[in-house]
Amino acid sequence: MPPEQFRTRDCVILLKGDAYPVTVDPVMASGGWKGGQGVQWVASDKDEFLVTYSDGLYAGFALWGSNESSDEFTAMTRNQPSYQFATVGAGGWIIMTTSFEQYTYASRQAGPLVPIVYNASDRLVFSLRGYWTKEDEWTLSGDPRAPNGYFIGFVIQPPSTATQQYMTIQVSI
Amino acid sequence: MTEIFRTRDCVVFFKGDAYAVAVSPQMQQNGWAGGQAVMWDDSPLDEFRVTYSDGLYGGFFLWGSDESSDQYVSFFKNQIAYGFGVLCLGGWLISTTTYEKYTYASRTGGGPLVPIVYTEGVRVRFSLRGYFTTEDEWTPSGHAGAPNNFYVGSITQSPKASNSFYLGIQTAI
Repeated sequence: MPPEQFRTRDCVILLKGDAYPVTVDPVMASGGWKGGQGVQWVASDKDEFLVTYSDGLYAGFALWGSNESSDEFTAMTRNQPSYQFATVGAGGWIIMTTSFEQYTYASRQAGPLVPIVYNASDRLVFSLRGYWTKEDEWTLSGDPRAPNGYFIGFVIQPPSTATQQYMTIQVSI
Repeated sequence: MTEIFRTRDCVVFFKGDAYAVAVSPQMQQNGWAGGQAVMWDDSPLDEFRVTYSDGLYGGFFLWGSDESSDQYVSFFKNQIAYGFGVLCLGGWLISTTTYEKYTYASRTGGGPLVPIVYTEGVRVRFSLRGYFTTEDEWTPSGHAGAPNNFYVGSITQSPKASNSFYLGIQTAI
């Protein structure tokens, strides 16, 4: 049976929370990002609200990726990196996204990749690269800020064939 | 140069939930700044009443009781006269001067004042007088509820000359 939800973006919105535009730093503007990417506040010389890739902290998540296929041939094509902005989602959302860690932190460092098994109601944090994950990568990496207690949501639907490997998340930021 | 006009104690960039509440006689008498935190207070009347926060929260007040921007308009001392304030909670993006500038220890120890260094992404809570701060003032003051883990937001902009020394905060109350 085909999926009943159309998933044509990195981050699909089922329920909308708070959203506002912010400036992205040069690292993000040049490196690009996926929809659903976690971002965090950083200092700026200017009077602006500036974010960069999350390393476990949060401001929220980027609603749209910087270069998604759904934006090709429209006015939105690479609009965000050109003007160095993104739209951040915070508060309460229900989203479906592919921007989550698929493999354990340990296996991504060395050895064969080991999938993370997500279950409904798992609590989530952002990984060291700002993807949604159930693992505390601060503890696993020896980050002095460990443990990461910055929980930002729950798993509603774990990724599966039925969900086209998207994960559905109840966001609470 | 500051690019944003900051003419009030608490400047709003993104609005969350807001509703009017009654204020305690103590607040009505002494007044408050915009961005002042408040907590729920017992009342003999059938009303929703708040008083100065001591680290707990109902939320923060949008407008001060006697701000310079309200002079010569009909809002002049309106809140104090009628005993109400506008309570804010949920997700807001604000910039305020109502934060602790100096460490609790230096404010109470009698020594020289030591500035608190605010950094983007760090979580904030309310001080014993209801100002935004990164410090847990319950623990050093011997408060029965210590430690204070009632976090109410994250820092989006540290105070500096370019933002007229306002503190930027993303609230999550």
